[in-house]
Amino acid sequence: MKFIDAKSIKFEYTRYDEEKDISIPVCALNGVDLSVEKGDFIAILGHNGSGKSTLAKILNGLLLPKEGTVVVSGEMLKDEKSIWTARTKLGMVFQNPDNQIIASVVEEDVAFGPENLGFSPEKIKENISFALDAVGMNDYRYATPSNLSGGQKQRIAIAGVLAMKPECIVFDESTAMLDPIGRKDVIKVASYLNREHGMTVIMITHFMDEAAKANKIFVMNEGVIVKSGTPSEIFSDVEYMRGLRLDVPIASEIVYELNTAFNKKIPSGIVTSEALVRYILSQKPPKNVNFEQREHRSVHNEPILQVKGLTHIYGEKTAFERVALKDINIEIYSGEFVGIIGHTGSGKSTLTQHLNALITSEKGEVLFKGENILKDKENIKKIRQKIGLVFQYPENQLFEENVYDEIAFGPKNMGIDEEEIKKRVASSLKMVELDESYCKKSPFSLSGGQKRRVAIASVLAMKPEILVLDEPMAGLDPMGRRAILSNIRKMRDELGITILLVSHSMEDVSEVCDRILVMNEGKVEMLDTVYNVFKNVNRLKQIGLDAPEVSLIMHELRQEGINVPDDVYSVRDAADIIGRLLNGE
Amino acid sequence: MNVTLGQYYPSDSIIHKLDPRTKIIGTMLYIAMVFLSNNIISYGICTLLFVYLAKVSHVPVLMAIRGLKGMVFIIIITALFNIFFIKTGNTIIKTPLINITDDGLFTTISLCLRLVLIVCTSSFLTFTTTPISLADGVERLLRKPCSFTKISSSEIGMIMSIALRFIPTLIEELDKIKKAQQARGADFENGGLIKRAKNMIPLLVPLFLSSFRRADELAMAMESRCYRPDMKRTKLRELKYTKNDYYAYGVILFLLAVVVVVSLVWSMK
Repeated sequence: MKFIDAKSIKFEYTRYDEEKDISIPVCALNGVDLSVEKGDFIAILGHNGSGKSTLAKILNGLLLPKEGTVVVSGEMLKDEKSIWTARTKLGMVFQNPDNQIIASVVEEDVAFGPENLGFSPEKIKENISFALDAVGMNDYRYATPSNLSGGQKQRIAIAGVLAMKPECIVFDESTAMLDPIGRKDVIKVASYLNREHGMTVIMITHFMDEAAKANKIFVMNEGVIVKSGTPSEIFSDVEYMRGLRLDVPIASEIVYELNTAFNKKIPSGIVTSEALVRYILSQKPPKNVNFEQREHRSVHNEPILQVKGLTHIYGEKTAFERVALKDINIEIYSGEFVGIIGHTGSGKSTLTQHLNALITSEKGEVLFKGENILKDKENIKKIRQKIGLVFQYPENQLFEENVYDEIAFGPKNMGIDEEEIKKRVASSLKMVELDESYCKKSPFSLSGGQKRRVAIASVLAMKPEILVLDEPMAGLDPMGRRAILSNIRKMRDELGITILLVSHSMEDVSEVCDRILVMNEGKVEMLDTVYNVFKNVNRLKQIGLDAPEVSLIMHELRQEGINVPDDVYSVRDAADIIGRLLNGE
Repeated sequence: MNVTLGQYYPSDSIIHKLDPRTKIIGTMLYIAMVFLSNNIISYGICTLLFVYLAKVSHVPVLMAIRGLKGMVFIIIITALFNIFFIKTGNTIIKTPLINITDDGLFTTISLCLRLVLIVCTSSFLTFTTTPISLADGVERLLRKPCSFTKISSSEIGMIMSIALRFIPTLIEELDKIKKAQQARGADFENGGLIKRAKNMIPLLVPLFLSSFRRADELAMAMESRCYRPDMKRTKLRELKYTKNDYYAYGVILFLLAVVVVVSLVWSMK
C-alpha cells in the first residue's frame, strides 16, 4: 500500500537580493515524484540546499507546493482539513532539539500533540507511557528537558510525535546536532519503530552510515530526485555520489578504491564494514602476511601550552555542584596538531574555555609560554589574541553588516591600525578560501558553510599562535566538512599555528592530528599519538567513544587471526593492505 | 548549565502541594487583610499567619525576609515622609525643625509593617510554586473572565509557558555568544556608559537573530504537532482543588473575617 504518493511537486521561494534590491524567485523543488510504501525505511540524501527539507515540509503540509499533488495515507493535501489529518498520520522531528520542545516538563511536552487533538486525559496518559517506553525515556517522565543531553531531548521530540500515534515519522536532519552516542540512540529508536511497530520512517541525513540502514534511498540534487534504489545500488556508484557533493560509507569507499586502483572485481553491493569483513574472510586470505610496521612521528618542540593541576567545579557549594575538570595535566608542543575527543559532558568545552581564560579557576594553572594566563588579568586581551578560540556553530556569533567588518572586529578590538587590519582580513579570507568579493556582502546572505568559514576567519585575523576549534565541522554536509578540514590543515602547514581540534569524528581526528587528548568524566584519559590512542579500541568503547571505521575493520580482521597492521586509519591505506591480502602477497 | 528560575524553593510541604489558584487568591486575600488592619490585634493575626506559613512551608524565614532588600529604600523614604509631615495628634517630640506627633508615629509604624508583611508573605507564593504552575494557575483563573472577551486564556497560558521554557535556553545562548565575542577581544566590562551600550551590539544582534530563528522553528514544530490556537485543546492535568485547598480557603477567609470585625470594632471606639 502506498503511504506517500507525491507527483511532480514544484516549490518556489523568494530570496531578497541586496545588491539589486529585488526579490528573485528561487526554485527549491522542480518536479519531484516520491512514492513511499507503508512500512518502508527511507533515507533521503542530498547536499545542503538540494531541497530535502523543503520536500519534508511539503509532506507535512507546512508548505504548500506551487504545482503537483501530494497524497499522504490516501488523503490528498489540498485544504485545511486534509492537512490537519495528514499531520496526525505523518509526524516530523526537526533538526534542533531545543527548538521543538514546548513544555518545561518532559511529560507535558509529550502530551502537547495529543492535547491538541483533544484526547481525553486518560488516553493522553496512555499514549505518553507508550511513547516514552518506545524511545526508552520512561525514567525521565518528570525531568526538565533543558537539563537533558541533545540525544535525550531529541528522543523526547520523537516521543512527542509518537504520542499522536502517527503511521510515519519524518526525521529532518534530526541527528545533525548530536554527539555520536545521541546519534546512535536516535537511529536505534527509528529502526526499532520501523521493525517492531511497522512505522514508516523517512530519514533525511548527511550521515551515510545512517542511510545505509534504510531499505531505499532517494538522492536529491537541485530540487529533483536524481536517483533512487537500495543502499547497495546507490553507494556502489562512488564517483556519481561525489559529483553530487555527497559521500559514501567507508566500506563502499574501500571497495571502490580496491576496484579502481587495484583492479579487483569485488561485488559493489558492500556498504557496511561487517559485510566487507565477511567478504574478505570468504576469500580465504593467508593468515600470515608481512606488513612493515610504520614509524610514528610525534612533534617534540618546546611546549607552548601547559595545563597544571587544573580543577574546575561548577556551582561550587550549591545544590548544583558539579566537578567539570579534575586535576588536568597536559603539555602541548609548538606546531602540534592535537585532537580532543570525549563524549558530551566529559569536560572538553570547560577545558578549551580555560585555555584563553574565558573561564578561570582557583585550582591549577594554564601556562602559555611559561606564563600563567589565569592569573594575568591585565594581559587578558593579548592572551585571547594569541590563543584563538572558535566556538561550536560560530556562525551564530556573526553580527556585522558586511564580511569585512566582521573579520575586522577582532583586530579592531586589539587596537591594530587600519592598514594592518586590511592585510589581515585579506589573508584570513584567503586561508578559508573565500575571495575578496565577499568583503562587501552581508554575512547573513551567505550559505551555512560560508558563514562558518567567515566566523573562523574572524578568529584567524587576530593572528593567534594557538587555534582551538570546537567541532568546526558540526552540522555541515560532507562537502562542507571536507572544505573546513582542509582549511584547518592549511593553517597548520602554512602558518605553523598550533591547533587543538575538538571533534566527534574519529575519522577526522585520525586523519589530521599528531596526538589525541581523550577526556572522560572531567579527567584526562589519554594524551598520546593517534596510534597509541586508537590501539585501545575496547577502552574507547567503554567510555562511549569509538575508533575510526577503517581501524575497526582492521581490528576485526586481526581478531580473525589475520595479522594486518593495527595503525591504519585512511581508506587509501586500508585498500592497499586489503588489496595485497586478497592477492595473497 | 543549571539555571534556577525565579526563587522557587523545592520541598514537598502542604503549602507546596496546594493548587496554584488557592495560593494566588490566598495571597490577594492576605493583602486585603493587611490593608484592612488598623490595630495591634489584627496586625498580630497577620504576623502570626506569616510565621505559620514560614514554618509549614519549610522555607527559611531568612529567605523570605531577604526579599525586602530591594524594598528597603522605598520603606525608609515612606517612613520619613510620614513621620515628618503628619501634623495631627499630640506632639511627642518638638524641635525647631521637626515635629513628631503620636498619629504620625503610629501611621509610620503601621505603614512599614504593612509593606514588610505584604512583601515577605507574598514571596511565599513564588517560593512554593514553580513558575510553570503559577502560569497554569493564572491561565485557569483567567478562563472565566476571558470567555466574555475575544482574548483566549489558553493562548495566554501557552505564551507564558513557552516564555518560561525558553528562558534557560536563551540564558545559555547569551552566555555562549558573550564568550565567543570575548574570545574575539570584545570588552563588556570597561568603558563609559555609551561605550558599554555600544559594546552590547555584538551580543544583542546575534541573540535577536537566534531568537527569531528559534521562534520560527518552534512555530513550525508546534504546527506540525497539530497546534491550532482556534481549536479547543484538552489538558493532561487539569487543575483540581483538593481537600487541603478548601481548608486553606477556609482558614484565610475566617482570619479575614476576624480582622474585619476587630478593625471595625476598633475604629468605632
